[in-house]
Amino acid sequence: MLSPLRLCHPCFKNVPVTTTSYRFDPSALRRTVIEMAYAGSTGHIAPAFSIVEILAVLYRSHLNLGDGSPNSAGRDYLILSKGHGIMAQYACMYELGWLSSEDVRRYFSDGTVLKGLSDAHVPGVETTSGSMGHGLSVGVGLAWAAKRLGRKQRCFAIVGDGEMNEGPIWEAFLFAAHWELSNLTVIVDNNGLQAMGRVEEVLRLDSIAEKLQAFGFETREVNGHDEAALDVALRELDKLQSCRPRAIVARPEKGSGVSFIKDTTSGITPA
Amino acid sequence: MRNAFSAALIKAAQKDERVILLTGDHGYALFDEIRRLLPDRYLNVGVAEQNMVGVAAGFAKAGLRPILYGLSAFVPIRVLEQIKLDICYEELPVVMVGDGAGFVYGALGASHHCTEDISALRAIPNVRILSPADAHEMTHAMELAFSLERPVYLRIGKCDVGAVHKGPIKYDWGELIEMRSGNGGVGFIATGSMVKAALNEARRWEGSSVWSAPSLKPLDIEQVATICRNHRAIITLEEHSIYGGLGAAIAEISSTYTPCWVGRIGVNDRFAQYAGSYGYLRSEHGLDPAGISRQVDELIERIGPTNLPLPKASRTGVLVPEIT
Repeated sequence: MLSPLRLCHPCFKNVPVTTTSYRFDPSALRRTVIEMAYAGSTGHIAPAFSIVEILAVLYRSHLNLGDGSPNSAGRDYLILSKGHGIMAQYACMYELGWLSSEDVRRYFSDGTVLKGLSDAHVPGVETTSGSMGHGLSVGVGLAWAAKRLGRKQRCFAIVGDGEMNEGPIWEAFLFAAHWELSNLTVIVDNNGLQAMGRVEEVLRLDSIAEKLQAFGFETREVNGHDEAALDVALRELDKLQSCRPRAIVARPEKGSGVSFIKDTTSGITPA
Repeated sequence: MRNAFSAALIKAAQKDERVILLTGDHGYALFDEIRRLLPDRYLNVGVAEQNMVGVAAGFAKAGLRPILYGLSAFVPIRVLEQIKLDICYEELPVVMVGDGAGFVYGALGASHHCTEDISALRAIPNVRILSPADAHEMTHAMELAFSLERPVYLRIGKCDVGAVHKGPIKYDWGELIEMRSGNGGVGFIATGSMVKAALNEARRWEGSSVWSAPSLKPLDIEQVATICRNHRAIITLEEHSIYGGLGAAIAEISSTYTPCWVGRIGVNDRFAQYAGSYGYLRSEHGLDPAGISRQVDELIERIGPTNLPLPKASRTGVLVPEIT
């Protein structure tokens, strides 16, 4: 079942919402993901589905896209460190007009630009990932440089919980806290699944929120499919007068929106 | 040579305010000057090299001009994938410095020896490789490295074997520097700490030429082919594996453009067995004067003396030991 936008959610109480500004409809984004996956006969649907609401909220209400073009000067940086979810970002980029219907229809065709994992050669995609644990370090570098250069740019980095097996993620956490990168927001997609099994069975993480707090992050924990809750958490973190880096632990279910791949690892493997 | 590096670093940082040094908690006194003169252009990211490379990529994407410093066993070897994906794939302007290459940290053992960095990086697209032999080559290497807005790896090997050039020198990307001219049977091409060793060995071979190769990638194919054409055998010397380094690069060019005998002298696919000084480890790997002479003699014997001059003198008695 596709998850609808819950305008009645109590978190929306103090947030102005107008229906005319409603873009990046998760249902439409998921449809684009499915169309791409079908066109490319590829998997990685579940890791894309699990971040649809996160990306929708970011693109709709939080990312400063500068002049609206990909790689616009002064833009906020969006780092998809868990590059396996790239189809969800492509879906947003399609809605922005950065990708064409031809790009969607011909996904994975010979000689086309869009690859199966995030790739910095695509305008609008900041880093090359898929090999896990790379993006966040680039993200903290961007955030540090933006501060040094006196720019207002913020950096949002989406990290997978499975990806947190990788050492550089924790190195980057230390760096972010040490340098007080308050312009950095890490969003952990805590879907509880990784390629070969459940996170708790493969390499247990226990409470990610507690870990992030211990590392010196201002942390919120929300349902990652609840757009209103995500939006409120991002606004709260943005308003905080704190020099700490920010983090959101988003708890969706992998494959959310499609019952037969929800909470299974089979949605990850190429079909 | 390290002083030349430090001076060149400060010069680059003073000339371009985007230049910022990152180190993974290494360098010690090497960075005293930049910390004193330009403290905000020095960043110790801690013992976290993987993160350091990603951070440098972020800096470069944001418009800064990072220079990464590490021991070559760590930069580039420990962080090879970060260099490949985060820096080279996007061709970002990052200068990477690998210090202590070869057996500089002799007694510390395998973790600090590095004889595979050239080979590893040569196979990665978009990165250039510099390997200066002395302070003069180093000074110009830093100028070259910052003259381009693209990835450059600067290999610093043993740096107190003495100068091989009389004064400041300039060279272009890919250019080999003629250290000794000759059109005899044997030509020597060496890089880094082995240039001096090549000059010593060349004294045994009448008419031999010696070339220093401070730029390992790119290499001037035409110039290498010409050198190969002028000699029957080329001997390459490097404080690095015989696989994938200078010797391999010369053999690749020679075999394609001007076939000639190429003898590769370097580390013969093995780890150091014992602890010991730099000089001891060079001799253990056959890279001391006697070991080099032996390997050159073996090659010449194998390919036959036809049209080749004989050694001017026997192995013993004429060579001044280079390493003490």
